[in-house]
Amino acid sequence: MSLAYKILVVDDEPQIRRLLRNTLERADYEVVPAADAREAMRLLGFEKPDAVLLDLGLPDRDGLELIPLIKAQSNATLIIVSAREATAEKVAALDLGADDYVTKPFDTDELLARLRTALRRRVQASAESQVVNAWDVEIDLVNRLVRKGGEEVHLTPKEYAFLAELARHPGRVFTHKQLLGAVWGAVFEQNIEYVRIVVRNLRQKLEADPSSPRLIVNELGVGYRLKGADS
Amino acid sequence: MRVSRRAETEPGRAPLEAPPGAWGRPIGYAVSAGLVALVTVLGVAVHSFGNLANLALLYLIPVMAAATFYGLRTGLFTGLLSSLAYNFFFLPPLHSLTVQDPENILTVLVLLGVAVVTSQLAARVRLQADLAQRSSGHNAALAGFARTLAGLSTVEEVGEALCAEVASRFGVQALLLVPGGEGPSIAAGQKEHALGPIEIAAADWALAHAQAAGRGSDVVAASEWLFQPLVAGGRVLAALAIAADDGGIPVRADQRPLLAGFIDQAALSLGRINLVAELANVAQLKERDRLRAALLSSVSHDLRTPLTTILSVADQIKATRCEGLDPALADGLVAEAERLNRFVANLLGMARVEAGALRLQREAVDLTDAVAAAVHDLRNRLDAHPVRLDVPIDLPLVRADPQLLHHVLINLLDNAGKYSDPGGAITIRGRRGPDDVVLAVEDEGPGLAKGREADIFETFARLEGSDRKGGTGLGLAIVKGFAEAMGMSAAAANRADGKGATFSLAFPEALIVHAAADAAT
Repeated sequence: MSLAYKILVVDDEPQIRRLLRNTLERADYEVVPAADAREAMRLLGFEKPDAVLLDLGLPDRDGLELIPLIKAQSNATLIIVSAREATAEKVAALDLGADDYVTKPFDTDELLARLRTALRRRVQASAESQVVNAWDVEIDLVNRLVRKGGEEVHLTPKEYAFLAELARHPGRVFTHKQLLGAVWGAVFEQNIEYVRIVVRNLRQKLEADPSSPRLIVNELGVGYRLKGADS
Repeated sequence: MRVSRRAETEPGRAPLEAPPGAWGRPIGYAVSAGLVALVTVLGVAVHSFGNLANLALLYLIPVMAAATFYGLRTGLFTGLLSSLAYNFFFLPPLHSLTVQDPENILTVLVLLGVAVVTSQLAARVRLQADLAQRSSGHNAALAGFARTLAGLSTVEEVGEALCAEVASRFGVQALLLVPGGEGPSIAAGQKEHALGPIEIAAADWALAHAQAAGRGSDVVAASEWLFQPLVAGGRVLAALAIAADDGGIPVRADQRPLLAGFIDQAALSLGRINLVAELANVAQLKERDRLRAALLSSVSHDLRTPLTTILSVADQIKATRCEGLDPALADGLVAEAERLNRFVANLLGMARVEAGALRLQREAVDLTDAVAAAVHDLRNRLDAHPVRLDVPIDLPLVRADPQLLHHVLINLLDNAGKYSDPGGAITIRGRRGPDDVVLAVEDEGPGLAKGREADIFETFARLEGSDRKGGTGLGLAIVKGFAEAMGMSAAAANRADGKGATFSLAFPEALIVHAAADAAT
């Protein structure tokens, strides 16, 4: 048990804390609950958790304000678990440094999968993967090569840059703004249609069925993530 | 009520009055004559010391003085008098008016000429001084009025100030009229004053055309009152009505600039008051919107929190297969909890539509993504139906709010599932039309009542004879409300092959994004 990941659960609703504690403990995590921002910040320094599940609607402080504070004090993985479904809130949270965003009511399996992916990313952060495999696609970040089913696929420079950006952190959601900034430059941060076009091209080249994508998956109004690399 | 009439002229306005008659004042003649006498005495005294040839020059002094101070005629009179005196006292033969030397006639003419030229110059200077004084009087009056207006905050106060000022300055009666639903009404001045039909017609004309109307203008001159519009920011805010006590033309032509000045000042002031009122109104609306959004978000939070627990625990009960519990019941628990969740989402959505609190965040959306997300979220709900996707990969991008579009698609899919028999396929079809992009959800069910296809979108409308399917019909009302908010249109029809119904969303040309293909290279 001492090797288990320690998760700080910050939520003002006792039922949600109990639910998350139960769910997480059954998945062999150690849980530290906090009911408000003050307690969360105290426990963050004291317990040194590996991940934080943060609700945005806290009684003493808005969760969005807490994100940079948590990021500054700890290198814990930060996942927002909130009933706020406005895409603007999600994008703001991710741009502020949150690793992922799960909307209440959440799917338990989905939450655990996201947490698992985020924690693994954290371990791998020091030794960045050189080759990422997702489904039947292999992305070689050293030689800048992409293969599908062993066959090399020709990508344009923008397509490769976009895919490589997603592949650097498989499973993590990148906001449109982050992707546009990384691939096209900060000037183009508003041109979401650029992202759409590139994703479309990549899906046609790499997806088994481009009309029901499973490799490059869209988060509504938020951005994209690379899926299929965790199995 | 202040009586807006004052007949007597105000002190200090005398310089504005017409100058004295052309013959000048008698005192001028007396003073000039005295000066001529003085010069003559002086001349005689000087002359006795020796013969000075240019004694005539001395007479220039009284002539110039008279012409400068008393005008042309007094100047000419002094010139004439000077010539006579010079002739009589200094020109041989002395003490007679006979002129021997023609050179001396020239002297007389010069003195008269000086009188003419000097008086003309002086008159011009005096005229300019008068004008300057008058215009500084006007400016002072306007500035004083502007100061008065600056402290006022209602239309009535400004109206009263304008009426009082105009009435006292021009000796007229004054009223302020504001446009209203039932014709112009008196906002300031003698409110009990009744305007006749001709006056009302003139007032209407002035308010509608932003031009003066009534007595003294070119329009509806039969009206006893003159109506001058108050215009600010291109809008006619009010009209000033003025009438002379004797029924004549209320303002002289030379008074019009000052009157126009007062009217402009008052109009600016009314414009400012309107602007402040509009700003306050906007602030109030914003505050109401903010409260509404806060309330909806709080209700949303309060409903979602218990749902989160219920859904998760239901999932766990289903997953652990509790002993003694029929697995079908556990499945039902999850399905019902999910249905409740969708229902809550729809209720909140409808509240947002009804409250006008939809905040659109449009972006370029790939319909492939939108469809995939909706199908993913409803995978449990639709597990009894094969879902077929027929969305071409090269369908144009559309501008939509991804979250709202998601709700629309969820409801269309949920509806298709509700009205399809188990095993009936649900097809999602996208196509590019001549001037739109259409996304359609087709089901294999009983179809819609003939001729009543559009009714299906009305809140709480339901398919006749299909009560067994349950549901409130709220979902389709959401589809319509959200779709229209985004500029799309929703339609329902029976399938051409008669197998069921098809619900379609049309994205008009304006919502289609024509992206630059070179973005990907």
